Amino acid sequence: MEIESLFHLKSKFVTREVGNELIVVPLSANVAQMNELFTLNETAKVIWENLNEGADMSALIQTITDTFDIDRHTAEKDIAVFLQTLEAMLKK
Amino acid sequence: MNSICLAIGGFSIRLSADRKIQLEDGYLPFVENQNVENPDFTIRCVEHLPSIGFDASDLLFQAENEFQKFYSIYRNGNQLAFVIYNQQTNNEVQQVAFLDENFKHWTIHCEVTDGLFLPLRYPMGPIVMHYITLKTNAVMMHASCAYDGKKARLFTGFSGAGKSTMSMLWSKAGRQIINDDRLIVRKQDGVFFVYNTPMYYKDIPKKAPLSSIFLISHSPENRIKKLSGAMSITRVMAFSIQNNFDRRFIEGRLDLFTELCSQVGVYELGFVPDESVVNFVLDNE
Repeated sequence: MEIESLFHLKSKFVTREVGNELIVVPLSANVAQMNELFTLNETAKVIWENLNEGADMSALIQTITDTFDIDRHTAEKDIAVFLQTLEAMLKK
Repeated sequence: MNSICLAIGGFSIRLSADRKIQLEDGYLPFVENQNVENPDFTIRCVEHLPSIGFDASDLLFQAENEFQKFYSIYRNGNQLAFVIYNQQTNNEVQQVAFLDENFKHWTIHCEVTDGLFLPLRYPMGPIVMHYITLKTNAVMMHASCAYDGKKARLFTGFSGAGKSTMSMLWSKAGRQIINDDRLIVRKQDGVFFVYNTPMYYKDIPKKAPLSSIFLISHSPENRIKKLSGAMSITRVMAFSIQNNFDRRFIEGRLDLFTELCSQVGVYELGFVPDESVVNFVLDNE
């Protein structure tokens, strides 16, 4: 799924910042998703917050490397894993 | 006009109708002996189901499993409309209810069945209780709770995690069980209290100050881990009753659970289903 699409899916969630983490709760029209809220750690939180309209992978990688002082290769790998996981959760 | 006043979770609820209102046995201990002049919530009970339909485009929430529907919630102007289905006869409408935008005033329509006028027949009653909590500092939880006279300990988890087992073990150890399945947690004067709610059996109303929350699971040995921050909030909130079709509900819940989890201890508890867990908790919380 493209980053742009993930950005649009963000509107289906309510978030709350707690310390360095972010709680993410899905809006839901049925009881099945009652337990499906989750927490993003500091890195995932930054990625989530930067999933904006017009965002691209290059900009995300730059943001992560600037924020956490890690190399581009590690940042790219971590972002890819996070986005795949997020896509799977958002599509439920 | 016939009326009955109930006290549930410390809230006063007045039901009124043109005919005699019947309640399932579990509600009877929660009936107030005197009429409350300004109840917190009112329920007007009307005989006969209304002959109106709801547009599928107004459907906000559906509670169902693969076998049957439980209830549906529709937008109805400024109100919410609830269609409640009979649990025994597949998809037959049992009640139609309307809730005003302030969540203070209900109108519940139902038929007289077998000579009984039961506007709060399950699952309507628990739905009413849940919506009572939504705009107040309260929440309904799937949980059991044991009270030792000073501290109430709440045990929650997935179905089969051991809530009822835990109640049995703490009861054997001499603690009062507030309830083994469904509770209201409510903030009053800065303190969180636990209340039982009317069940399918009779039990007296109970209230206790909440001290700690345990997220339980079966384990080969007793183990405990304190949780804090975002993890504690999400883990506890996951076991509350939720109809999350409106982001304001979620935001209210996040406010409540953030405060709750900062005031009471929250623990992950793996337990052996025998009496050893009682002393283990007392020694390690």
